[in-house]
This record gives sequence, C-alpha cells and structure tokens, in this order.
Amino acid sequence: MTEHATRHTPPEGPPGDGDVLLVTDLSRRFGDLIAVDGVSFRVGRGETYGLLGPNGAGKTTTISMVAGLIEADAGTVTVKGHRMGPARVEPKRHIGLVPQELAIYPELTARENLTFFGRLQGMSGTTLASRVEDVLDVIGLSDRAKDPTKEFSGGMKRRLNIGIGLLHEPELLILDEPTVGVDPQSRNSILESVESLSTAGMAVLYTTHYMEEAERLCDRIGIIDSGLLQAEGTRDELIRLTGDVDHIRLDGSGDTVAAEAALLALPAVEQVDRERHTLHLAVHDAPTAIAEIVTEATSAGMRLNDVQITRPNLESVFLRLTGKALRD
Amino acid sequence: MRPVITVAATELRRFLRDRSNIFFVFIFPLLLVLVLGSQFGGSGSSGRVSIAGESGPLEQAISAQLTDAGITVDTGGHDEVLDRVSRGRTDVGLFIPAGANAAYGSDEPVRLEVVPGSQSNAIAVQQQVRGAVGALDLDRARVRALVAEGGDRGVDASTARTALAAVDAQVTPPSLRIEDVDEIAQEFSGLGRFDLGASSQLLLFVFLISLAGSTTLIQARRLGIIARALSTPVSTGQVLLGEAAGRWAIAVFQGAYIMIATALLFGVRWGDPFLSGLVLLVFGAVSAGAAMLLGALMDNEAAASGVGIGIGLVLAGLGGGMVPLEIFTDTLRTVAHVTPHAWAYDAFAAIQRHHASLVDILPELGVLAAMALVLLALGTWALRRSVARAM
Ligand SMILES: Nc1ncnc2c1ncn2[C@@H]1O[C@H](COP(=O)(O)OP(=O)(O)OP(=O)(O)O)[C@@H](O)[C@H]1O
Ligand SMILES: [Mg+2]
Repeated sequence: MTEHATRHTPPEGPPGDGDVLLVTDLSRRFGDLIAVDGVSFRVGRGETYGLLGPNGAGKTTTISMVAGLIEADAGTVTVKGHRMGPARVEPKRHIGLVPQELAIYPELTARENLTFFGRLQGMSGTTLASRVEDVLDVIGLSDRAKDPTKEFSGGMKRRLNIGIGLLHEPELLILDEPTVGVDPQSRNSILESVESLSTAGMAVLYTTHYMEEAERLCDRIGIIDSGLLQAEGTRDELIRLTGDVDHIRLDGSGDTVAAEAALLALPAVEQVDRERHTLHLAVHDAPTAIAEIVTEATSAGMRLNDVQITRPNLESVFLRLTGKALRD
Repeated sequence: MRPVITVAATELRRFLRDRSNIFFVFIFPLLLVLVLGSQFGGSGSSGRVSIAGESGPLEQAISAQLTDAGITVDTGGHDEVLDRVSRGRTDVGLFIPAGANAAYGSDEPVRLEVVPGSQSNAIAVQQQVRGAVGALDLDRARVRALVAEGGDRGVDASTARTALAAVDAQVTPPSLRIEDVDEIAQEFSGLGRFDLGASSQLLLFVFLISLAGSTTLIQARRLGIIARALSTPVSTGQVLLGEAAGRWAIAVFQGAYIMIATALLFGVRWGDPFLSGLVLLVFGAVSAGAAMLLGALMDNEAAASGVGIGIGLVLAGLGGGMVPLEIFTDTLRTVAHVTPHAWAYDAFAAIQRHHASLVDILPELGVLAAMALVLLALGTWALRRSVARAM
C-alpha cells in the first residue's frame, strides 16, 4: 500500500536553515513497552507540525524527548542545530513547552507563575515585567493577574499554561494537547493564538487527538500510533494516500434522470447514484468541481433545494492506516 | 545561582501563602511553649513570696535576703496573703507575728510561720525562705559569739555588729545558698520557665513543618512543574538545589520565628544568638534533607503529610522534644541520639545553660551537619530519579 512509502521516512537532506527542529529515529521504551519507535520528522520556521494520535500513542513521550525532559534510547533531537538532551542547556533556550498537565503553581497568582518561569528562562527586570504584562494581555488574563490560579476556571488555567510557554518568545513552541477539557470558546481562542504565532514565524509542534484541530492548524501532520509514525504529510497528501474521494449530495426536484446522465459525463465525477429526488456523487476535488456540477444539473432540468459536500477527513485516514478509530 | 534562588524563594512564598499554615506555624508552637512553660518550667527561677504581719528590722532583713536571691517580695494583710497563696498568685506566704521584730533586735528566738502554695514551684521557694532566715540566724550567731568572747573587754552587741559589718565589707562573706543536690534540678536551675519548652518546641516544629511541607514538593512533581522547570535553560542540579534550599529556608524561617517570638513574648533566653542561630541553620538543613527525601519517595500528598507528622512527632518525642532528655535513662538517652533532635537539644542546652562556646558545641554541629549532608544527598538523588520516572 502507498502509506508504506511515507512510513519511517527520515527527513530528506541535511538540516536546512529553515529547520528549527529535526527529529531522527527517536525511540524510547518503558520496560517492555516501546512507547516511541523510530520517529522522525522536522519542523521549519513558521510551520506548524501536528502529531495526531489516540491515547497512549506516544505523543507525550516524543515531546518529552524533544523538550529534553527524558533521555532517548536511540535517535537524536536537534533544535536550532543544538543536540537536545536532559543535560543540555543551550537548545532549551529556544523552546517553550506547554505540557499536557497544567504545570502551574495553584497558590501563586497568574503573574507570579509567569514571573517564576520567566526568571528560569533567564529574563529579569523590566524586560520580564513588561513581557509578563504582554502575555497576560494575549491570554486575556490581565484582569485576573492578581488572583491565585487555584481560583481559575479550567480554561483560564489552560490559557495561563500556554502563556508560560510563550513568555520568552521561543523559536519552537511545543504544545501537548493544549485544548483538552476546554470549553469551545476558550478552545477557539487557543487555536487562534497558535495560528497567529505561526504566522509570526514561530515553529510549532502540536499534539492532539482531535483531528479537526490538526486539520485547522497544521501545515503538516504526522499520524502516530503505538509509537510508530504511520504516515506524514499535508492534510491533502494524507487523504490522497488513502485514495478516498469526496462525496456530493444533491437534493431537488425536476428531471433528476437527465441530471444523472449529464453529471456522469463530467471528468471530475466518478460515480452517480440516484435515489428518488436525491443524487449521490463520488467526485475528485469537490470544492473545484462543485460550480460545474451545479450548472450542469440545473441546465439538465433539475431544480436544486440542497447541496452537501462531504470530504474524507483525517479520521477516515486514521481508520484506513491503523484499522481503528482515532477516538475510542 | 539565580535559578536556585528563584526556585527557593518560590517555595518559601508558597509556604507563606498557604493559609492553613498560619495556625500551625505561627500560633500553635507558641501555645505549646506557653503550656509547657507553665507546667514544667520555673524550678529555681524567680519565685514570689508575700509577707504579712508586723513590719520592722526582721521583715526588712528577710525581704532583703530574698530579693538578693532573685525572689519577688511583696507585703499585704494576713488574709490577703493567705488568699494570694491559695489562688496560686504567690508561691509562699510568710507571716511575722507581733513582737518578732523586737525579739529579733534583742536576740530572742523568733518563730515565723510559712505557708507554701500548692504549685510545684512552691517547695523551691520555701527552701529559699528557709535559706534567707537561716542566713540571718547565722549573722546573729556571729554577733552573739563575739559578744560572748569580748563581753568582758567592753564589746556590746552594737559594737560587735559594726565590727562584723566592717569585716564583711572587706572579705567576701560566706553566703548561704540553698542548692538542690539533685542533678536534674541543678541542670535546670537558673533556667527561665519557658526556656526549656521553647528549645524543644523549636526542634519539634522545625522538623515537623518541614516534613509536612514535603507535600508541596509532591504537588510540584505531580503537576509537572518540576518537569517544566527542567525544560528551561537551567540544569537539573540547579532545580534540585533550589528545591532543597527552599525547604531549608522554610525550616530556618520557622525556627527563627519561634526564637524571636518566644524571646519577645516569654523572655526566653536563647544564649549567644550567633551560636543558637548556627544550631538552627544546621538542624534546618537536616529537616530540609528529610523533607526532600520524603517528598521524593512518596507520591501521595495526603499520605506523605500523615507519614511526615508521624515521623516528626516520634523523632521529637524520642529526641527530647516532649520530655527533657535529662529525665531519660542512660540507655534511652543513647538511643535518643539517633535523632537529630537530641543532638540539637544538647547543643541548645549547652548554649542556653552553660554559655558554651563554638568549640564546645562542635561535636553536636558536626553530627548534625553529617546527618544533613546524607539526607540532602539521598533526597536529591531520589528526587532526580522520581522526576525522570514521572514523565
Ligand atoms: N513513565 C512511564 N512509565 C511507563 N510507561 C509509560 C511512561 N510514560 C508513558 N508510558 C507509556 O507509553 C505509552 C505512550 O504514552 P504517552 O504518554 O506518550 O501517550 P500519549 O500519546 O501522550 O497519550 P495521551 O493522548 O493519553 O496523552 C503509553 O502506553 C504509556 O502507558
Ligand atoms: Mg499525552
């Protein structure tokens, strides 16, 4: 199958200038369990790379090695050309980690938490103070800056958790499932800030088990399961990998029989099924073909009431690749 | 060094921020010092004598003797004094019958009535009264002897007294002191009523509060804060050192608070502040090491808090934190010295009661420093392991 072609593909060529993060053949086991198994990928400036996988896939373990929290059994992590590891300090200057758990002090205020981690990042004085205020503003917590974080809602804590990772304006931002347990509104604001950071040139490594997030945010996505990177590419590349086509559903009245024949003649249309007043089409690249399809059906004498496009998503890709659903 | 201070300062700040600490850290230790002080302390310390009855030379002489011995003396009517004794407001009531002053002046025998109170202190104060009266008696005996010897050479009582006073001014008079020959009482004599309780409560609380504080370390591990700190450009050593230093700061803070508060509120004498401060620093390091070890080995905060308080109480009890080590049997006292408390207790006792110098307490400081080093090394090692495990 085609997916094997992209499996285990090491990043091609020598690390280019655009590479902020380069991960090569990374492995880690816990006892008998192989949590991460030969994972390789690269993230460039301004690029958002998503690791999409179900619970226990090995996302956090991968990230822990990327952030230099735990030792890799094999393989290397390079950040801005510096080898990463628990004992290395230099590459850590360039990363901002947003852990999956809320790594903030409950007794301390939002401002104190930010200041604490800012100091550990080597910031001080007015630089630190003004950065803290900026970040409080960005995460929308300026008016709650003086409250202890144990009084915060889940979404506010999540936002602070992310703010701490942004404080020192790292070149690589690592987010481990930053939207888990967050209301839709907070979630949207989190996704928006990641988008704007990426636009500003930050490299982002983003793990999630929500395929909508991966689709929306990530320039490239690695699908990970059982510690293996099953496939990697842009969203469209991944979908093409599975050979799935888009589906269009036309509801209406009039001459649906003539419409069926006319549509079948179009090159983009693979297949048409008619069911009373409804036509089901299998189509290549529905967004492009839709205008032509609507015109053709109308001129054949069909009056359209409703048009629906369904595209294959990463969920179906994941199902194809691993034989299981992304969420159980 | 900056990251170490950042982590340590944050730990101290978290400790002070926790409201539930206020009672246990600031109020409870002082309450215990107060309770223990009123129960145990006081032997040999300044007592109170109330004198009733005829005033005059005898009453003045006794009063002067007692005041010299550090006892507070007041006077009052017969019933008033009896009432004070029965209410425990004074330790001993002394009643001087009518004519006693005149009898004293003319060398006649005098009978005085003494009514001791029921508090433990009263016996000692009664002894002091006996001593004072005894000293006066000795004085009188000397005058009598002089008169008897020199009566035929025209020496009368007043000449003898003048001569004796002149002699006394030149030679140090043999003062009569009532000394308890009991070793334990001797050890504690001169100790303020709160002094003993204060040093043992300091040790108990510094260690206990440190161990109970290991929960914040577990919390920082569980919440991934330590892991996150390790993703910043600081070394693992700096983070761990900061955690240890933070715990040390908490221990020393607690101890310094008890020292200052008991000195101000109860007049506790801590001896040379440099030396007692040094004992606190070293004992605080032992406590910090134990807290690191507990916080690294245990994963459950509630359990760690329980274990911490248990260990803290047992070690304090064994190490003289509840009952003074001097009352222990020799065997038990040897056993007690497995605890850091016992060594620190000895050092405090030496500083408070015997004006010990740095050299005198070097053995205690050495043992405590060794304990601190071992515990801190073990604690840091265990924490490093637990951090690698938890991610
Ligand atoms: N410290 C550890 N000790 C033992 N096993 C571990 C440890 N950390 C992770 N694992 C195991 O490694 C595998 C991968 O875990 P990991 O946390 O990386 O998954 P994940 O993709 O982040 O999952 P989730 O979406 O639930 O966060 C799991 O089977 C997990 O049980
Ligand atoms: Mg995870």
